Amino acid sequence: MPRDSEFAAPTRRQFLAGAGALTFLVGGDGLIGVARAAPPDEMAFAPNAWLRITADDVITIVFPSTEMGQGSSTALPLILAEELHADWSRVRIEQLDSDDRAFGNPMFGGVLYTAGSTGVYGYFDTLRKSGAQARQMLKQLAATHWSVDIGSVTAVKSSVVHPVSGRRLSYGQIAALPLDLPAVPEVGARDLTPRHAYRFIGRDVRRRDVPAKSDGGERYAIDVRVPGMVYAAVLRAPVEGETPLNIDDAATRGVPGVLRTVVLPDGLAVVAERLEAALAGRERLNVAWSAAAPARAFDSDADLAAYAEAAADLDRAGTTWRAEGDADAALAGADRVLTADYRSDYAYHAQMEPMAAVASVDADGRGAEVWAGTQTQTWTMRTATDVLDTTPDRVRLHMMTMGGSFGRRTALTQEYVRDALLTSKAVGRPVKVVWTREDDIRHGWFRPAAAQHLRAGLTADGRLAGWHHRVATPSVIAYFNPLRWEQVDPSDIISMRGAESKFYAIDDLLAEHVITERHARLAPWRAIGASYTSFAAEAFMDELATAAGQDPIAFRHRLLGHNPRGRRLLDKVADMAAWSRPRDGTGLGVAFAGYGDSMAAGIAEVALDRDSGRISVPRFWAAVDAGLIVSPDNTDAQVEGGIVYGLSSALTERITIAAGEVEQSNFYDYEIMRANEVPEIEIHIEVSDGPPTGVGELGTPMTAAAVANAFHALTGRRLRHMPFTPDRVLAALA
Amino acid sequence: MIDFIVNGTTASTDVAPDTALLWVLREHLGLTGTKYGCGAGMCGACTVHVDGAPTYACLTAVGDVAGRAVTTIEGLTAGGGHPLQRAWIGEQVPQCGYCQSGQIMRAAALLAENPAPTRDEIRDYMSANLCRCGTYNRIVRAVQRAAREA
Repeated sequence: MPRDSEFAAPTRRQFLAGAGALTFLVGGDGLIGVARAAPPDEMAFAPNAWLRITADDVITIVFPSTEMGQGSSTALPLILAEELHADWSRVRIEQLDSDDRAFGNPMFGGVLYTAGSTGVYGYFDTLRKSGAQARQMLKQLAATHWSVDIGSVTAVKSSVVHPVSGRRLSYGQIAALPLDLPAVPEVGARDLTPRHAYRFIGRDVRRRDVPAKSDGGERYAIDVRVPGMVYAAVLRAPVEGETPLNIDDAATRGVPGVLRTVVLPDGLAVVAERLEAALAGRERLNVAWSAAAPARAFDSDADLAAYAEAAADLDRAGTTWRAEGDADAALAGADRVLTADYRSDYAYHAQMEPMAAVASVDADGRGAEVWAGTQTQTWTMRTATDVLDTTPDRVRLHMMTMGGSFGRRTALTQEYVRDALLTSKAVGRPVKVVWTREDDIRHGWFRPAAAQHLRAGLTADGRLAGWHHRVATPSVIAYFNPLRWEQVDPSDIISMRGAESKFYAIDDLLAEHVITERHARLAPWRAIGASYTSFAAEAFMDELATAAGQDPIAFRHRLLGHNPRGRRLLDKVADMAAWSRPRDGTGLGVAFAGYGDSMAAGIAEVALDRDSGRISVPRFWAAVDAGLIVSPDNTDAQVEGGIVYGLSSALTERITIAAGEVEQSNFYDYEIMRANEVPEIEIHIEVSDGPPTGVGELGTPMTAAAVANAFHALTGRRLRHMPFTPDRVLAALA
Repeated sequence: MIDFIVNGTTASTDVAPDTALLWVLREHLGLTGTKYGCGAGMCGACTVHVDGAPTYACLTAVGDVAGRAVTTIEGLTAGGGHPLQRAWIGEQVPQCGYCQSGQIMRAAALLAENPAPTRDEIRDYMSANLCRCGTYNRIVRAVQRAAREA
């Protein structure tokens, strides 16, 4: 936190430059200071300047997360603008381009990390409080100027007005008043705008990024071009851990425009004046790779079989993820015990922009300018300082809008950024590293394969008695962020989220993580563990309802006695889908899941081509409750996108690995959902009183189970291995 | 040298004729609104018009467009106010936005041949283009809106 004295006596230059501007500094719990502001390039003395108001009435609000399509680059500044009573049309949004922990997400201990649907959730309180404090200070300045009591002035649309005298000062005019700055005021709940009076929150203010994303103007890392820039295509080791034994690049060097090759930690860069030359040069490389890496033994079929064995072997201890009551005793005392095993394959993010980064390393090799799209300023900065063995002040980051990410760009060490830096350092010029789609798939970091074993008891009158959920899958965190793993070992939220089944009242519950060996590169993937744990839990819940002879919604209702919000969602979605109306030729399936503290109930309508085994989903209904909603329209878009993402995964998406190599390479063998396959989707957003709890991943967890349960309604058969490819469907029907 | 028309202006390039039009547009001419997605004609992110026809720039050799007219997202209309772009904003279609240039160029080709497409016609025609954010249903609504308001 900056010391007060740092703001008390600006240099003459800073004072002149900042005349007519106010800069507000935000900490984890509201404002911590205000200063006469200098322009941003001279703001080193006030690094956590979230908010600047200049004499021209422009209000600049820093966006502390990064944008990958989720819309928080509009939503977060909007929250501050709401409490500031700002004129939104004069608000400018500025991307945070440094690892300044003063802006850190409170949900992640101050690390700058955009993940887990936590942007609005994590920053909501501090942004509101800061906006209210800044508004109070502007009112105080105007009141002092007019020699009136602060209680007699009000703030309206970037102005303070004194209704009695009819006087008005814009925020910009106030910023230019030659007054001593007031102390940061304490504000309480009463000083915050009540929900019914919100002008922006809950009102569908349009996203700021949409126009540039509709005319080709938005710039992504892959679009960056800087003077003198050259290109690198990286031939990466075919199998993790292999190294080049012999490199023959004679043919490569014969390609016009190719400059040289550069050896990298897990590959070989071909650097050329032009991208097409780099790619052509890479084609002509002749490399003999080592063949001794342990990863040569990685085989996805064998992995999943081993995981399934581990999940079902009750003698193999797991790490407790959640325990309530005594699950074993409840199961022992149950009238009947059901068990079922579920599997899910590796899945790829398939973000539309492949990995790309631009780096321009300084002549001394100890500093750089970096353009990258990632989900974390903190770990991108760390990647750069590690690679260059330097300090953060030597690294100028540009956090670019991402062409999707879904968890892909989160790792502690970002290999695409690293490779751009190492290559630029080697050739002494700015370098753009571009991955092809084939690179992006073969060297992807995947959602882990998982096998799950579930056991549950039923009483004689058909009530749930005891719930045991074992998830056999590797630790994702241990691989993608070993530093974090040191802090949380053995508790892995990325691998396990959803298995807590916390929305239900289950007295005796045990959820365990059987941590298996990692046999692929792993990363968070939209909805993290919940994309497969909720599949298993909610498909199994359906099996229990069937065994108990009950309607699947009624069966779930009995577990939601304490959760009126959840019951409301189930009732609502049942209404939307006309659940009790018999269908001709299709089946309906329900699932109740969620993400974090946000809940969702979904119903899928499934049709089946019995000859080919191909499933389609013509309609999907969802009712969601994510507490307070900042943007209803963007919530609808995020939930719909999450549903499409989940359905795509449930129906077709599958990465396989043989002899350590990923077998898929492009969208012809890793198929994602297309326009003519997407269902009609109807979403109801229940606005409840709670805080905002996140919407980016909310649509995904319910989807696979809803489809599997609908398939059962249609055929009487169960699908327990995701994705539900035609061969698996035909096997289930046989 | 290969000469062709890009958005109404003659462009010249000295690259090998088999170079992908996509790299010439993006890296040589700086028209980065056209995106690389797969290099295989599987995703449509690179869709441009060649003499009015929707074309994958990633699979098109620049030598094959010599003397022809290429239109990119930057040249769809002079001021960026094409009915589709207005509809894209009106329906708040983009999320990450990366695929949207290709989607709009594909949709423009559809409306040029079929000014009032049905929902199913839009879904079928637009299925050449992938969107991982799942904006498909909004795309359909935006195409319908553009058809109505054009």
